[in-house]
Amino acid sequence: MSRTLDRIGTWIGWAFFADLANGLALTFGYMFSKSVTMQYPDKEKWLPYSRYRGHHFLKRDEEGEIKCVACELCARICPCYCIEVIPYEDEKGNRRPAKFEIDMARCLFCGLCEDACPADAIALGQQYEFSSFSSRDLVIGRDDLLGKPGKAMTGGGVVAARLNTEQDVLVETSEPQGYNWWRNIRRT
Amino acid sequence: MELVVALGLIVFKVALLIAILLLLPLPLTWLERKIAGHVQQRMGPMRVGWHGLLQPVADGVKLLTKEDHIPAEADRFLFKLAPILALAPPFVVFVAVPFGESVSVLGTEITLYVSNMNVALLFVFAVIGIEVYGVIFGGWAANSKYAVLGSLRTCAQMISYEIPMGFAVIGVVMLAQSMSLLDIVRAQANVWNIVYQPVGFFVFFVAGLAESQRIPFDLAEAEGDLGAGFHTEYSGIRFAFFMVSEYAIMLLTSVLAVILFFGGWNGVLVPLPPLVWFVLKVAFFVYVFIWFRFTFPRYRYDQLMAIGWKVLLPLSMANIIITGVAFL
Ligand code: SF4
Ligand code: SF4
Repeated sequence: MSRTLDRIGTWIGWAFFADLANGLALTFGYMFSKSVTMQYPDKEKWLPYSRYRGHHFLKRDEEGEIKCVACELCARICPCYCIEVIPYEDEKGNRRPAKFEIDMARCLFCGLCEDACPADAIALGQQYEFSSFSSRDLVIGRDDLLGKPGKAMTGGGVVAARLNTEQDVLVETSEPQGYNWWRNIRRT
Repeated sequence: MELVVALGLIVFKVALLIAILLLLPLPLTWLERKIAGHVQQRMGPMRVGWHGLLQPVADGVKLLTKEDHIPAEADRFLFKLAPILALAPPFVVFVAVPFGESVSVLGTEITLYVSNMNVALLFVFAVIGIEVYGVIFGGWAANSKYAVLGSLRTCAQMISYEIPMGFAVIGVVMLAQSMSLLDIVRAQANVWNIVYQPVGFFVFFVAGLAESQRIPFDLAEAEGDLGAGFHTEYSGIRFAFFMVSEYAIMLLTSVLAVILFFGGWNGVLVPLPPLVWFVLKVAFFVYVFIWFRFTFPRYRYDQLMAIGWKVLLPLSMANIIITGVAFL
């Protein structure tokens, strides 16, 4: 009985364009909801979560010495063979990389190099803006890697887009970690 | 002296009208893109000027500096004629459209219409019918499959929807006992026609959507299946002509809906100047047009024909008969 009533109700609804009105109401509601897009290159940009795998960086120890011991484990484990390490012995008799190059054009950002490193010398940071016109420019040397920004402790938020992230500047958001981006998508 | 003043006034009014109609598409495109953006939870244009306000100017400059391309196999004469044919009628129609009674400036009464024809409604429908030639010529002259398909669709669509549209307004004409748009508005001073003619308004509005080729009836330029429909091969300033024409027709349909069914410049409750009321109502309809565009999908071609012939036409006929019976 109630199913028949439902069906009659639906028919009456169709006759008065209830379905079309529903659609209109929905789009009208969305029109006044918050936009989920960011004005990326102009004003704001997304700072990824701290576990994001972006551009690599090499770390230094407390004395400012490069941490890498040139064991070449990262080069071994890398599925794309995009790391090239050539070791040398410095004045103190430590093994250090004379050449440390990552071909970012081939890297697939798996993070295995970070996991393999016994000296905790290499890691993947949050920088993702390093596109270039020539794939040759994407081969990054040791000194450049040392200069890359490290990991930010916070992440998942919107920051001003025009900060100079080329230098050692860490971009931190005021958003707590675990900021729920999806919250913006639907207004409920 | 009298004659000179009267002539000068007419020239001034026509110039003003043309200027407004040519410039209005600029804010309208901005509005359309902005509304599209917000409906889709984007921001729309933001980069040029404050909240992208200068975006239409940038687009205009881009269109003006684009190469004016004519396909090698095109019928050059018709190809050049079509944009003008599409653009002129919507402008001409506004001669017959009143925007209010009159305002007094410096002691002289200035009427807010160029001419008060006693067959204004007929004139509007006759002239707007010419616009379809622009679309058909444009599609045919380009010598392109997409364009010709688009213009064939337009041809059928325009003819099918002009009939119910014409019938839909007959009820209004019967109520006002006049075809003059001015008299029609005057007849609605107390009760708007929408109260007596809801079905007429519905038919008129749906047919108007089809006439101005807006979604859900934009089969002429269905970008999903026809490239850009009849103006696929047009570029630069000629394309801009078609755009302006489309916006002018959208505006015309809104204006006609307001005049015929929503009391023109007669206000309710809030005592605002008549012209303000008129502009507000038209703006509302323009918004509804844009709102529809970003809510509904496009109808299939056979559905379009079925709606036109099997739903709107009988409805408009029934509307006339019922109005007639009630009138007796
Ligand atoms: S992230 Fe993966 S692909 Fe990239 S350098 Fe490290 S191991 Fe190689
Ligand atoms: S970065 Fe780590 S794994 Fe790679 S060579 Fe240096 S110490 Fe070894």
